[in-house]
Amino acid sequence: MAAAAAAGLGGSDFSDLREIKKQLLSVAERSRERGLQHSGKWASELAFALDPLPLSELPPPPALTEEDARDLDAYTLAKSYFDLKEYDRAAYFLRGCKSQKAYFLYMYSRYLSGEKKKDDETVDSLGPLEKGQVKNEALRELRVELSKKHKARELDGFGLYLYGVVLRKLDLVKEAIDVFVEAAHVLPLHWGAWLELCNLITDKEMLKFLSLPDTWMKEFFLAHIYTELQLIEEALQKYQSLIDAGFSKSTYIISQIAVAYHNIRDIDKALSIFNELRKQDPYRIENMDTFSNLLYVRSMKPELSYLAHNLCEIDKYRVETCCVIGNYYSLRSQHEKAALYFQRALKLNPRYLGAWTLMGHEYMEMKNTSAAIQAYRHAIEVNKRDYRAWYGLGQTYEILKMPFYCLYYYRRAHQLRPNDSRMLVALGECYEKLNQLVEAKKCYWRAYAVGDVEKMALVKLAKLHEQLNESEQAAQCYIKYIQDIYSCGEIVEHLEVSTAFRYLAQYYFKCKLWDEASACAQKCCAFNDTREEGKALLRQILQLRNQGETSSTDIAAPFFLPASLSANNTPTRRVSPLNLSSVTP
Amino acid sequence: MASVHESLYFNPMMTNGVVHANVFGIKDWVTPYKMALLVLLSELGRTGAQLGLLERRRLNRLLLPLLQGPDMPLSRLRKAIEESCPHLASSVHIRLKLMAEGELKDMEQFFDDLSDSFTGTEPEVHKTSVVGLFLRHMILAYNKLSFSQVYKLYTALQQYFQNDEKKSGTDESDMELTNTEELEGKMEKEELDVPLREEEISCSGPLSQKQAEYFLSQQASLLKNDETKALTPASLQKELNNLLKFNPDFAEAHYLSYLNSLRVQDVFSSTHSLLHYFDRLILTGAESKSNGDEGYGRSLRYAALNLAALHCRFGHYQQAELALQEAIRIAQESNDHVCLQHCLSWLYILEQKIFDSCVLLEHSVNKSLHFGLPYLASLGIQSLVQQRAFAGKAANKLMDALKDSDLLHWKHSLSELIDISIAQKTAIWRLYGRSTMALQQAQTLLSMNSLEAVNVGVQQNNTESFAVVLCHLAELHAEQGYFAAASEILKHLKERFPPNSQHAQLWMLFDQKIQFERAMNDGRYHIADSLVAGITALNSIEGVYRKAIVLKAQNQMSEAHKLLQKLLIHCQKIKNTEMVISVLLSIAELYWRSSCHTIALPVLLQALALSREYSLQYLASETVLNLAFSQLILGIPEQALNILHMAIEPVLAHGAVLDKGCAMFLVAKCQVASAASYTPQKKIEALESAILNLNEAKTYFAKVDCKEQLRDVLYFQARLFHTLGKTQERNKCAMLFRQLHQELPAHGVPLINAFK
Repeated sequence: MAAAAAAGLGGSDFSDLREIKKQLLSVAERSRERGLQHSGKWASELAFALDPLPLSELPPPPALTEEDARDLDAYTLAKSYFDLKEYDRAAYFLRGCKSQKAYFLYMYSRYLSGEKKKDDETVDSLGPLEKGQVKNEALRELRVELSKKHKARELDGFGLYLYGVVLRKLDLVKEAIDVFVEAAHVLPLHWGAWLELCNLITDKEMLKFLSLPDTWMKEFFLAHIYTELQLIEEALQKYQSLIDAGFSKSTYIISQIAVAYHNIRDIDKALSIFNELRKQDPYRIENMDTFSNLLYVRSMKPELSYLAHNLCEIDKYRVETCCVIGNYYSLRSQHEKAALYFQRALKLNPRYLGAWTLMGHEYMEMKNTSAAIQAYRHAIEVNKRDYRAWYGLGQTYEILKMPFYCLYYYRRAHQLRPNDSRMLVALGECYEKLNQLVEAKKCYWRAYAVGDVEKMALVKLAKLHEQLNESEQAAQCYIKYIQDIYSCGEIVEHLEVSTAFRYLAQYYFKCKLWDEASACAQKCCAFNDTREEGKALLRQILQLRNQGETSSTDIAAPFFLPASLSANNTPTRRVSPLNLSSVTP
Repeated sequence: MASVHESLYFNPMMTNGVVHANVFGIKDWVTPYKMALLVLLSELGRTGAQLGLLERRRLNRLLLPLLQGPDMPLSRLRKAIEESCPHLASSVHIRLKLMAEGELKDMEQFFDDLSDSFTGTEPEVHKTSVVGLFLRHMILAYNKLSFSQVYKLYTALQQYFQNDEKKSGTDESDMELTNTEELEGKMEKEELDVPLREEEISCSGPLSQKQAEYFLSQQASLLKNDETKALTPASLQKELNNLLKFNPDFAEAHYLSYLNSLRVQDVFSSTHSLLHYFDRLILTGAESKSNGDEGYGRSLRYAALNLAALHCRFGHYQQAELALQEAIRIAQESNDHVCLQHCLSWLYILEQKIFDSCVLLEHSVNKSLHFGLPYLASLGIQSLVQQRAFAGKAANKLMDALKDSDLLHWKHSLSELIDISIAQKTAIWRLYGRSTMALQQAQTLLSMNSLEAVNVGVQQNNTESFAVVLCHLAELHAEQGYFAAASEILKHLKERFPPNSQHAQLWMLFDQKIQFERAMNDGRYHIADSLVAGITALNSIEGVYRKAIVLKAQNQMSEAHKLLQKLLIHCQKIKNTEMVISVLLSIAELYWRSSCHTIALPVLLQALALSREYSLQYLASETVLNLAFSQLILGIPEQALNILHMAIEPVLAHGAVLDKGCAMFLVAKCQVASAASYTPQKKIEALESAILNLNEAKTYFAKVDCKEQLRDVLYFQARLFHTLGKTQERNKCAMLFRQLHQELPAHGVPLINAFK
């Protein structure tokens, strides 16, 4: 059957959607038979997105072999025990079964029993040092048995997957990758193997050197791993082509796209997609934590509250639910409660990375720096590449007034997200505090060049230039800043805009460019805090003008508006490598 | 020596320079080993009365290390008990066997019975005694266990017992091995001296809390005192990673990993480990400290301070300064004077890298004394002495200061500082040119027993002090012409400080210097020239100086002069007076080699004034010799003889053999020259005494195998014998001269003109 399916896949084209649907339905069935719920769910979800098949084309139930028939009774009994989470019991009745299906279930229940016991053990160990020692005792035996079968080439796609999982749990990453790749070749339809592979691949280089089966499943895999590796552009492209191929109704793809937009901080797009997703799949809990993060960033209290209550009704003991509720409380500034819910999320799943970081943020809000550091450190332990945790650590030390110390953490965060302006601005601020103005300038400029989210880098840069008496550069920065703000169409912060105009007015006044100076001074009058200064300046300009020659009457359009953004206003400095003098890591 | 002082970084396992084994706070858990101990204690209580006095005493002495030491396998425990009382060992074994092979209720019963020993009108165990506390701890810990934990403990006990059975069944030879080791007697000593055996280190499984603590503190102290005995960086890192895998909360392991990364000069991982350690420390500090914010505020300060230390060690002085400023600011805000003192010392070290200043240091010493930080104060005094010695302050005051700080060291038994102090005295005596005193100090340190509690059995540590002293010793021997002895010492150094270890650079430099001197003496200038590159790599100033000397010897006068002038300016700038004088002497020599004695004179006088000012006696005598020679050539040998009397004594007392020879040769020359104006009778006397002096010079030159000088002496002697009409002696000298002359290439400078 597996061989037939593999042969039918033939290439990564999506021309025959019916065939694809058939394959999906059959693999969903086969995954369920083996207790692989998640892969089954994934396949069925995808199958659901495709048009229904007529009766005649429905895939036949998998044919039973002689061996299957022999093991049928034991299998049926064991499967029901397995579904009831009585793994040891299931394994007991399956011993000696020869058919592939029964054998897989036998091994899988032994593995799961070991995992379950491990989790239970963690709660009551004998001492602090034993905490980390609790391990799945069954793993070693499983590995020995599976490797024997593997050598004899007796494992099917599912068996290979299980073997890979065992290897990964034993920290044998290299071997595990090989086995998963093999599993993907033998049974490309099994999403679980692909997903495990995603978790093991840490960079683009590794991906390049994998020899993957050339099937349509590979497209899904690539899209997924691009998202994981923060290669958002590529991921979005892949997903778009999948949608074009006919999977437009798949909630899986929609959610992945939303997550991708979230990762590149395109909040509006992500929000609209998530809203769409919730319309299609109102009882969905997966990915809702990401959705709540977006709502949080936008401070959309009512929406977040609705989401939290809704999810709580569906299932309150889910990690995502706890996370959403935590976010909700955090937005309402009830940080203790928020921390409590994040803790609950971690109790439900200790490997749930996001909650550690979020909890760190909550502790930060509560000014409990040591607990925050603890939480962030945990997050880093789970995933070293979690830039938010590194950034959070940096912030914590910044709050503790240790600007030099936090440089290291910001730099780590910056390494992980080289194009994120927030880390660069934070780095710049630290350098500024340390009076390393040259470095600070580099950081701010870089932050502007990579696309500043908070639009503060330019103002800070301008102020630095001001400090260093580099008035021309300062003026340039302020001009760019004002252009930036106006091109956005919204005025973010009045205060900074007014300071910019005030500086420009004075600058032009000094340069004796009366027209520009008076234009800026007039702008100043529009703001409360600079009104008086603006007026005074206008008066002075008038006086000086009267003394001097009569000015030309034609007043051009204000130079600072985007309309007059001429070619010579573009930055002369290109983005160069951020060459900070500090040699430290 | 400056780098000795850099060891004053804040080390959590160390206060006042003493490594403490247990800084982690004991957390008690019932383990199978502890249960075996409990069985032993209860047996002791049951049968204690029947034991003999001697056995009782031995057992009592055994108990404490057993209670406090790390967990050990049952076989070793049994051996330990057997040595004190074989009877008791077997009964303990039987009871354990009964418990392990019996049922769970046996263990439960055992713990129920344990508390009986406290009850009764006359309890066997006093509640607050060491044993009583241990018992109560254990009972409490046992009572806290949940049902499944109790069962787990029981299975652990069974396994503990079965492992032992298996081992004694199959592996008899291994048992023998452990036996012999344990026969040495004292448990704790054996524990400390024998480095962790293979099985213990490479056991893939986790270590117990105590074992881990022991492992960490042992490795930390080895890193500090004797790097070669510690695990290699790679394997140590492997161990630490293993440890951290099983217990990520064990913060001290991160610190050790930081120290380990420092060994291999790995900036990245050392920074990473250091920051990780302090992140962890902040947690534990916040949890355990009851006095509010103080707990983790403290670690913040020290975190910044350590970061400064790290940057300083890697030569990032600017970064170090920034970090230090941060540490100082935080410490000031929280009024932590102790931390401030540490910062001050570091500030001094940093400033020293940039420019000289001792004001800071004086401050630091005063304040440290005020706050009762003897370690820091003494380090400060030592740095100060070192600096003052270079600055030419009065020697007696310096020695006084060292003596005073020595008093402090002995009082607080800071053995590391005592070592440094002696090494420093050796160096200072050598600087002043008192080789006998230096020799004596060096020998003192080498024959002293170590005071470190950790290394009771080992005589010495492999610290920098020892490297310094041994290097000086090698050089002193080489100066006296005992090249075999010198190379023996260097061989020893090579063994104790392998080439990639921290202090290896010291002996490398000395080794090359000695080789260089030998090559120069033998006239093999090409070899000396090839050594220059090596010396330059280790010490650039020394290298340039040596290069100039080689050029001078090869008669490339103008190049040598250029080089020396440059070096002179540089050394004057960095205030390296010793080198300035040496350079001045070399320049003067260049002048008189080109027969410009009148120009040489002021240079020599300048050198003399400088060496007098800085009380560098030996250099002063050398300058006097040069001066006398110039006077001789200028035709005032009487004057030369007069000033020679000043110099000859110190040279003969402390000088290198070569210098002694040169001095005697010069004396003879002066005698001959001044004898020209004497009456014939007196002249003969003078010539005779000159011949005697020449004989002495000859023996000196022969010692260092300096053939060129020997040839000159022989020539001169032959001439003298000729004048005196002693034909036979003259012919002998002439023959010897002829032999030597054939061996050596003739060189361009007229014989009589050469003083060196």
